[in-house]
Amino acid sequence: MTIHLSIVIFLPLAAALIGVLLGGRAVRWAAVLGSLGVLGYAVAMLIDFDSSSGALQYVTDDAWIPQLGIRWSLGLDGLNLLLVALTALLWFAATVGAAFLGVTRIEERPKLFFFQLALAQSAVLGAFLAQDLAVFVFFFDLMLVPFYFLIGAWGRGERVAATTKLVIYTLVGSLLMLAGAIALGVLSTPSGGQISFSLAELAQRPLPEGTQLWIFVLFALAFLVKMPAFPLHGWMPDGYRAAPLAVLIVFSAVVSKVAAYGFLRIVLPTMPEAALHFQDLMLILAVLSIVYGSALAFSSDDTRLVLGYSSVAQLGFITLGIFSLTDLGAQGALMQMVNHGLVVAALFLIVGLLAARAGGSESLDDMGGIASRAPVLAALFLIASLASLAMPGSPNFVGELLILFGTLESQIVFGVLACSGVAMAAVYMIRMYQRAMHNGIGAGVESREICRGELALLAPLVAVIIALGIYPQFALGRSEATVLGKVAAVEQLRVPVSGGVILPGAQIPEGVPGTPGAPLGPQDPAREPTAP
Amino acid sequence: MSPVTYGWLVLAFPLAGTILISLLYKRLPGRSAGWIGAGAILGAFLSGLGALSQMLAVAPEQRIFEGSLFAYARTLGVDVDLGILVDPLSLLMVLIVSGVSFLIHVYSIAYLTSDAGYSRFFAYLNFFVFSMLLLVLAGNFILLIVGWAFVGAASYLLISFWYRRETATKAGIKAFVINVIGDVGLVLAAFLLFSETGALSYAEVFAAAPEVFSPNEGVIVIACLLILVGAFAKSAQVPLHTWLPDAMEGPTPVSALIHAATMVTAGVYLIARTHPLFEIATDAAAVAAIIGTATLFIAATIALVMTDLKRAIAYSTMSQIGYMVLGVSAFAYGAGMFHLMTHAFFKALLFMSAGSIISAMGGEQSLDRMGGLRKAMPFTFVVFTIGALALAGFPLTSGFFSKDAIIDFTLYRGGLYTVLAIFAYAAALMTAIYSFRLVFRVFFGKKCPEAEELEAGHLHHADPVNPATGEPEGTDVGFPGEEHHIAERDWPMKIGMAPLALLALVAGALQIPGVTEAVTHFLEPTFAGSEYLEAHPTVAEEWRGLAIGGTIAVIGIGIAFFLYIRRPQITPALQARFGALHSFLAHKWYFDELIDACVVRPTAAFGRFGRNVVESQLVQGVLVGGATSVVRVGTSTVRTLQSGYLRAYAALLLIGMCGLALYFLTVSS
Repeated sequence: MTIHLSIVIFLPLAAALIGVLLGGRAVRWAAVLGSLGVLGYAVAMLIDFDSSSGALQYVTDDAWIPQLGIRWSLGLDGLNLLLVALTALLWFAATVGAAFLGVTRIEERPKLFFFQLALAQSAVLGAFLAQDLAVFVFFFDLMLVPFYFLIGAWGRGERVAATTKLVIYTLVGSLLMLAGAIALGVLSTPSGGQISFSLAELAQRPLPEGTQLWIFVLFALAFLVKMPAFPLHGWMPDGYRAAPLAVLIVFSAVVSKVAAYGFLRIVLPTMPEAALHFQDLMLILAVLSIVYGSALAFSSDDTRLVLGYSSVAQLGFITLGIFSLTDLGAQGALMQMVNHGLVVAALFLIVGLLAARAGGSESLDDMGGIASRAPVLAALFLIASLASLAMPGSPNFVGELLILFGTLESQIVFGVLACSGVAMAAVYMIRMYQRAMHNGIGAGVESREICRGELALLAPLVAVIIALGIYPQFALGRSEATVLGKVAAVEQLRVPVSGGVILPGAQIPEGVPGTPGAPLGPQDPAREPTAP
Repeated sequence: MSPVTYGWLVLAFPLAGTILISLLYKRLPGRSAGWIGAGAILGAFLSGLGALSQMLAVAPEQRIFEGSLFAYARTLGVDVDLGILVDPLSLLMVLIVSGVSFLIHVYSIAYLTSDAGYSRFFAYLNFFVFSMLLLVLAGNFILLIVGWAFVGAASYLLISFWYRRETATKAGIKAFVINVIGDVGLVLAAFLLFSETGALSYAEVFAAAPEVFSPNEGVIVIACLLILVGAFAKSAQVPLHTWLPDAMEGPTPVSALIHAATMVTAGVYLIARTHPLFEIATDAAAVAAIIGTATLFIAATIALVMTDLKRAIAYSTMSQIGYMVLGVSAFAYGAGMFHLMTHAFFKALLFMSAGSIISAMGGEQSLDRMGGLRKAMPFTFVVFTIGALALAGFPLTSGFFSKDAIIDFTLYRGGLYTVLAIFAYAAALMTAIYSFRLVFRVFFGKKCPEAEELEAGHLHHADPVNPATGEPEGTDVGFPGEEHHIAERDWPMKIGMAPLALLALVAGALQIPGVTEAVTHFLEPTFAGSEYLEAHPTVAEEWRGLAIGGTIAVIGIGIAFFLYIRRPQITPALQARFGALHSFLAHKWYFDELIDACVVRPTAAFGRFGRNVVESQLVQGVLVGGATSVVRVGTSTVRTLQSGYLRAYAALLLIGMCGLALYFLTVSS
């Protein structure tokens, strides 16, 4: 099948532009159709994708700014296929929700709102599909613009202060990454050679370790802010409380994944020695995010913050998987990115429904007892909650299991510490479910069942969660071949220098920290008879 | 059909029942949800019998069948199928679980009649049975963990079934979180086994284990201890037991099914299932035996003083599971599984008849309020007494043969196990005392007002209160509702209890020393590799043990008779004389307080510290404030309006990038 990824990226933007030109209600329809088109593409790609190949598919590679060696390079592989599908599904849900179902009431300047929402989708898709660092940076920074307006103009409460924090944090991160990207491109250019930002090319041009280290820090800061990870999550509480719900769904579910994805796509292949050097630090941050996020999630009463802090913890798990620097950990992290996106989007939709029944309040103190009148809502909420706490049988369990297996294999202490997060997740999710659905009926609570439109939005998300729970291999099979190659650069470094395999062309300085005596991953063929 | 196909059917029936009841919950008239639920479980039981007939048709050494539907997670060396294992052990569990569940479903059809959540109850109950069957049929550790967690979730839902009661929802959370701790133990154990053997399916792990691990090597001992964390959390063994007494907040059929007959025995099943590992890590098996003994002793002492009928039976359950754990970890697999089976019969029976009593008492659960119900509830009196006889190990009842078989084997192991056996005998004496304490206090003595009204044909209608707190409560999600009825006169309840009473009496005939060994013999293929398969106390030793056990039971019942019928004034005197001991037991050895002080409060304090100190001072104060002021200073040259500069900043960035792009595009073309 011929699929032009450039069309996939710009379809939402183009549809929204047409809608803006037509005016009136057309903009809602145009935005919905644009995101539906992307969803159609995503389904086609899920079916057509060649799972056996780890190489890029549907590649677009044209000269863009040749003077700077920047190419319009896009491609799809096991790393981004599922994330693109996630983006397509959730943006469609959010757009439909905002356009027709009142998830967020857009009465002022609807044209601008839907245009910004579509622009944000194009930017996210661009970041996921980019195979050139400059293109990635362009889209990564572009994401900030629509979200700035979406939260600042259509948000609630202290939206100005919230957007200020959000923008300062992410802007600083973005600028650091821009500097890092330029440095990476320039410094890796061999003398007399042509500068290139192609990710494949950069992976073949390793920098000396000292240089890698400071560039790594620039990228890591940008990504950790975006995720967000402890202690760089300062913008999150206000930002999540201020954002309109339809925007928050895609923001929390997808945008945070761009950052996690950035580690896998860019940082590990191009800066393997730095990744190894900073492994312990990143794992400490990950575990801190897990423990701290969980602790705040079970001591918050604001439903948005429970989910916000739980996301800090979940993203901590994802970071843990990535920086276990094992195939299994990366595979689990990738799976978990998709799972967390699905689950957190469903839960934020549910928060909207709960607030509508609690007189507009989003505090757990004002909720309670509606399960008897709203059994369908209760059932959907329960399934999403159990998936969120990674109950075995949910897709999140498979993701978390692989992350833990990978981490335990390479750094057993961090794996064991992370397990505390598993138990705490049970506390904060069941607590939230129970306080909203069980016990006595809250004072201002109006118990009523989910209505058809709301069900039409929520049920498909829950259905996807259940389907992935029954058949997680659908996701694992599609990403396996690519994941196998992505962590390889780092893994090979970990084999003792004396008898081990050395990455072709890689200069391994003496005394790479962590190199000798590092534990072997399950990819060691001698110990792994069932390796594919 | 092969046993594996029957195995899938065993799973399919309750799952279909769950889905059907959930989808139709609004349209199901009268008691039909109950009949659908019971029918689904009957289907599972009959499928189990089908598998049994197929299995018995082949030679014993071929009685292990595996099958898988599709790859569940197969990536990068992890290889997990959606696969089941049908062997004598799992099939025995299937038959016990589905058989007892069926009877409890039938009982519940009547018991829950006046409950507002009737359909919901049967949807949950069917889901529970599905999960439990998945747990026992799973062919690998991952699917086991899935079933394990599903069972925990179903238990959570059923404990908090009457969710208007805060006591019930709190108990639900407690059970769920302790279960999740058990899940984590299993996940870590699965990891250690995977990392050493490269496999996750039972067959591959057990085949590789003897070559990979040397006896009592560190890794395998740790893995087995982690398995025990899972087993103990689910089977309510010390110190992970505190959720079980609280779980009595659930409807009584739930206590009968989940917290007596099936789920809480999952830990015993797990130890039996992973016996090839425990036989390598004998140190871990010894730890299990010691904890099992501690539990059976501690729980028996607490059961002596509990005044809440259901909680007294709950502690008795803990104690009996302690015996099973002791049995299977002393490698008396046949005896341990046999006791699991007989206990399922008599303990489910005790809970069901307790439910009958409680509903006649209008929800009252305190022994202090009961008395003289013998004539008012003759059927319940008879079946409860049968259950108590079996529990006490009265000669020739089922519990007599099964419990003493465990103790005999423990004595036979010698050494440390001799000490454990002595504790087990001591607890057996207490068991006889507390079980007949219940019989005498409920059915004999001074008649309570409810008993007198019942004998006159009336039903006492109390205002519904929460039995744990005494607070009045609404009935919109609770029992008893408006049409509260006399439980034992509804025929489905009798149908549910009568077969169990019969089994509690005669099931001992399956394993009579020197005569027959049906259960042990049936299980042999599963334990074929065990060193202890042939190990056996002699028939004479076994009969000697039975004689001791029988004597203890009779003495215990005699003591109870003396204390509660002959000299009822002695017990208050004893309580006063040994006030400290009584209070220690009545506070359940202070386990709740200990866990609260060591785990719950520090965690909550950590959460508060995070929110009040780290979040507000460090994250919001230093970091956010710092970053904001840095930017403010940096942009002071372009500062315009308080909020305007940011917009300008963002716009400049966008314009700059677009300009740059345009410039290069024009230059390049």
